[in-house]
Amino acid sequence: MFTAIEVLNPSFINQSPSTLWSLISPLYKVDEESWLKELLPLAKPSAEQLKTQTDNAFHLITEVRKDDESMSMIDALLLEYSLDTKEGILLMCLAEALMRVPDKDTADAFIKDRLSVADWASHTKNSDSFFVNASTWGLLLTGKVVTMSEKQDGSPANLVNRMVNRVSEPVIRKAMNQAMKIMGHQFVLGRDIKEALSRGKKYRDRGYTYSFDMLGEAALTADDAKKYLTSYERAIQSVGKDSYKQDHRPTISIKLSALHPRYETGCEERVMTELFESVKGLIQQARAVNVGITIDAEEADRLELSLKLFEKLFLDEVTNDWNLFGLVVQAYSKRALAVLAWLTALSKQQGKRIPVRLVKGAYWDSEIKLCQQKGVNGYPVYTRKEATDVSYLACAHFLLSEHTRANLFPQFASHNAHTIATIHTMATQLDATTDEFEFQRLHGMGDALYNHLIDKNNICVRIYAPVGSHKDLLPYLVRRLLENGANSSFVHRLIDASYPVENLVEHPVTLLEGRQSLANPYIKLPESLFNDRKNSFAPNIEIDSEWTPFQEKVNHFMSADIQWRGYSLVGGEKVATNNSPIVKSPYDHSQVVGKVDCAEPSTVDEAINIAQEAFPAWSSLTMGERANCLEKAADLLEENYAELVAICHREAGKTIQDSLDEVREAVDFCRYYAQQARDHLSGEKIYTDFLKNEKRVQIVGRGVFVCISPWNFPLAIFMGQVAAALVTGNTVIAKPAEQTSLIAFRTVELLHEAGIPTNVLHLVIGKGSYIGNNLTNNPHIAGLAFTGSTGTAQRINRSLSNRDVDPIPVIAETGGQNAMLVDSTSLPEQVVRDVVRSAFASAGQRCSALRVLFVQEDIADKVIVMIKGAMKEQSVGLPYLHSTDVGPVIDKNAQEMLLDHIEDMKVKGKLIAQAALPSFAENGTFVPPTAFEIDNINQISDEKFGPILHVVRYKARELDQIIDTINNSGFGLTMGVHSRNETTCARIVDRARVGNIYLNRDQVGAVVGVQPFGGQGLSGTGPKAGGPHYLPRFALEKEL
Amino acid sequence: MTTTHTNQIQVALNAFERWDRLGVTGRCDALRKTLPLLAEEQQKMAEWQLNNAQEKIADKQIMPGPTGERNELFSQGRGPFLCLNDLAGEHVSTALVGQVYTALVAGNPIITSGLEGKRLIDILQPLLPEGVVQNISDVVLDALLEADSLAGVAILCDMKKAKSLNSRLAAKEGLLCQLVAETSDTLARIAKPNYILNFITEKTVSINTTAIGGNATLLELGSKAD
Repeated sequence: MFTAIEVLNPSFINQSPSTLWSLISPLYKVDEESWLKELLPLAKPSAEQLKTQTDNAFHLITEVRKDDESMSMIDALLLEYSLDTKEGILLMCLAEALMRVPDKDTADAFIKDRLSVADWASHTKNSDSFFVNASTWGLLLTGKVVTMSEKQDGSPANLVNRMVNRVSEPVIRKAMNQAMKIMGHQFVLGRDIKEALSRGKKYRDRGYTYSFDMLGEAALTADDAKKYLTSYERAIQSVGKDSYKQDHRPTISIKLSALHPRYETGCEERVMTELFESVKGLIQQARAVNVGITIDAEEADRLELSLKLFEKLFLDEVTNDWNLFGLVVQAYSKRALAVLAWLTALSKQQGKRIPVRLVKGAYWDSEIKLCQQKGVNGYPVYTRKEATDVSYLACAHFLLSEHTRANLFPQFASHNAHTIATIHTMATQLDATTDEFEFQRLHGMGDALYNHLIDKNNICVRIYAPVGSHKDLLPYLVRRLLENGANSSFVHRLIDASYPVENLVEHPVTLLEGRQSLANPYIKLPESLFNDRKNSFAPNIEIDSEWTPFQEKVNHFMSADIQWRGYSLVGGEKVATNNSPIVKSPYDHSQVVGKVDCAEPSTVDEAINIAQEAFPAWSSLTMGERANCLEKAADLLEENYAELVAICHREAGKTIQDSLDEVREAVDFCRYYAQQARDHLSGEKIYTDFLKNEKRVQIVGRGVFVCISPWNFPLAIFMGQVAAALVTGNTVIAKPAEQTSLIAFRTVELLHEAGIPTNVLHLVIGKGSYIGNNLTNNPHIAGLAFTGSTGTAQRINRSLSNRDVDPIPVIAETGGQNAMLVDSTSLPEQVVRDVVRSAFASAGQRCSALRVLFVQEDIADKVIVMIKGAMKEQSVGLPYLHSTDVGPVIDKNAQEMLLDHIEDMKVKGKLIAQAALPSFAENGTFVPPTAFEIDNINQISDEKFGPILHVVRYKARELDQIIDTINNSGFGLTMGVHSRNETTCARIVDRARVGNIYLNRDQVGAVVGVQPFGGQGLSGTGPKAGGPHYLPRFALEKEL
Repeated sequence: MTTTHTNQIQVALNAFERWDRLGVTGRCDALRKTLPLLAEEQQKMAEWQLNNAQEKIADKQIMPGPTGERNELFSQGRGPFLCLNDLAGEHVSTALVGQVYTALVAGNPIITSGLEGKRLIDILQPLLPEGVVQNISDVVLDALLEADSLAGVAILCDMKKAKSLNSRLAAKEGLLCQLVAETSDTLARIAKPNYILNFITEKTVSINTTAIGGNATLLELGSKAD
């Protein structure tokens, strides 16, 4: 963290760009309170400045409100269908999905579903408001404004019911499509650039100029990227031909994510070459016709990458002596000021001016959510709106300072009247002339506000105008609505005449300083997401300051010099044997990870005897005492994070993110089971029995528990089973999969270090075929937890049942034949992302992985083409590289089985796509991600545990049959559903006999204590791991 | 596999989905109507199991949704359960009632055997949906135990019987058939709060909310003015 106020000193930007670059990344998730204290002096006006700014803002708002045209139709829609009302959300959901549903039956069913769930009558609390709402709704139903009066239509509730009842779904479908076109017309300047230029003339006559944005989602495939590139090229040519006489020529705004299917940090090499060439080509064309280019800002994870690309282009000869290559900076980013300082130094060094659009930022909620999901311990954005406003003004102060504006050309984009008035006043106070900066606004918003500004001042205002077809409008519109549609937004309050002007002109510094804390206490940090336990964390691998130091620690353990030695641990003693296979990396068999000594059957017997003897003392401890050990173990896992990640890479072939997730899940298991045991299983429980007698019971351990875990989650599942058995008072014999014994050995060492006595927890290493019988024949075994194949579970169960002792609990988590159902209301881009992740992440070696995708035939062609394109972009490679999406499979047996299946399917099915293998694939056990189209699920006999996807088309009316087929397979682990129709979702949830159903997301990555995980039928016995019923199964209710 | 047991398992399977979808509350409502028809101790056992079920296995438990998504945990039945009694003694009828009501309220269709079972089924059958409860003669019991779709067996028996039955069920192919054996004639297991957990399976539903409007809660938190 640097001293922010120093940026106002002209010498600050005399530092080299590389020096200032180093200030950027460390601010990624800097402590919000401390950093805002740095920024506040930059944004804080003097008493006199404050008075001028407030007076100007008051005047501007009052003038705007006097304007009859201040509230456009869209403003009215925003005002009434704010996204914090259920109806607003439903309306937008309906509109968003309806545009793309190709089949009428699904569209009509969807309309029926949406209309049935909204509480339209709740608006009767305020009839005035209700009638505006109803009118707007009427507008959307009929495509024209319908005036409704209470007199004619009776009570509001009746009106809505009549309105909904009297029009059939097909009529509404047509009307909605028409209405969306009207909305599109309002929000999109033109369907193509020519139309946009033509329609824009009216505003240009008034003094505005434009920056055109070509609408579209991020590219998922190379074809998409090519399509968008062509669209930008055409736009540049058309704008280049623009002959409108004006000082300020229109520019083009470019979204980098539209120009490359893998615009992400992991693919930096491709970005800096392939994407670089694409943008360079656009710049060449733009320069030739004198059209400026602005790089749009996107997600926080891409900021550093986008700046690197910008720098490379800025230093390239293509931009020599060109002052029209600019970019966007988001003020809600904690790194914004440092980015601006770096840009200024870069500009000064190169002697070229950089146009910089300062926006507040449109992805706030996504940024917060992403960090919470990833367990990043902090946020890249401010957690209060007024903090973002303060940052905006702080950045503006720097941008308008003399030494900065000589190098950068500030472009202030805002619809907040107070911000605009304050910036304008600030510019005057800093002697910036109106040709040294400009304002920007979105097409369709803030018209009245800027009309007043432009009429009274000689200042340039540029309109950011989306151009594209109506079907591309919705994602954009949704973003704008999310940004401005909430009741609390400035735009909403500005047009709400009942909201006092005095409250709108309060300075953000005053507002922020008046809060109980600068950071928002309601937005909990990711580590504090749970009320009853600490959340696990992970570094963000997309961010240099987060990833580089962590990677250095991991790299230490990636050295060939570092190897691990694994033994069975019995009574704390390492058991050396003559059977010591070398452990090799699945991605390169010439790489040695270490060596393990495999146990003799007698070692198992000895371990069980010691565990049996240790049971009374261990079970007599309190739940709290045992839970403390687990919490200590969680801390130790995090302390040894880098080593564990390295073993995951080297021994299990796991990718970086998979390895981080693996450690996080193990940590979560420890803390969740500790909390569950302490809060729910401790002490005596008193209950009244069926004869009304008061009974006292205590939850106690059963005895010696065997935990047999798989290689696909060698740390997480291993730890989950062991932690559950230990905390409930059992002693444990842990038997990991022989492929991943080293990480198990290291984990048991950490558990011992955490306080689990060495006579309580034992590790036996070896092949199940050699030592398994001694685990399952022993009469002292009081319970067994197993994760693996259904067949092995059956064999274990048989062996246990043949002992001459009481039956014991067997907790088995077995395989699945997991399906995903996709109907035509779903968003194809989201579907394809989720399919690729569900089927191919972790090389498909997750119990939960997608095996059979069912796609409604009406959208199947489109979705399959997109899957094919997205699969081409998957990178199969070395798992420890950031660029790798898919690593190796675990061993030769797995590889051969999967390759055989691929050959078999080439005959029985139709190959959709197969990703390429790297040149070094033969060194390890790689299987190319492959997708086939098949006729039905019965063409696959059993679970194929690898990166192979099967796709089946279905007719909408066949949904119930599909569910029956899936149920009849007997497996029931996970299912994904993509549909915007809640009635459809509810029907599937009701009928599908599976353990975990995921609606409108991918179907892998269940979180401990949040999405308890486990299957039904052939997929497992339950109870669910990471759920509230798991621990009781490991224990007895002992009557006192 | 004989036709007889195939039919009975099929009947139970046909009834399963509808019965399970009634939810704990719906099944409790249906089962409470049968209580007045039971003898006093049996009635107490049945009522206690229903009350315990409502406390222990809610139809839907809302799990944390820390990143804005909605997560729900449902309890469901496992499938057809055989409820058997292999002991004589004071509490035998009560034990059977305990098994049957627990299995039923958890969402499973049940099949009993023998006279004791028949008496209970005669009471339940008229008041419950078709196929949810059935009784079979001891003659077909052996064949029924072999059925692939049998989800579990609840039995009051001695330890020797429990062991042999356990081996037999484990020898089957297909899903791991659950044995819930009560080997104490004092009903040490049946009459405990966690007994019902042996009869359920769980379903987690995770609803993503990154779709439009889904992060409204975050937006609301972000604009809190204090």
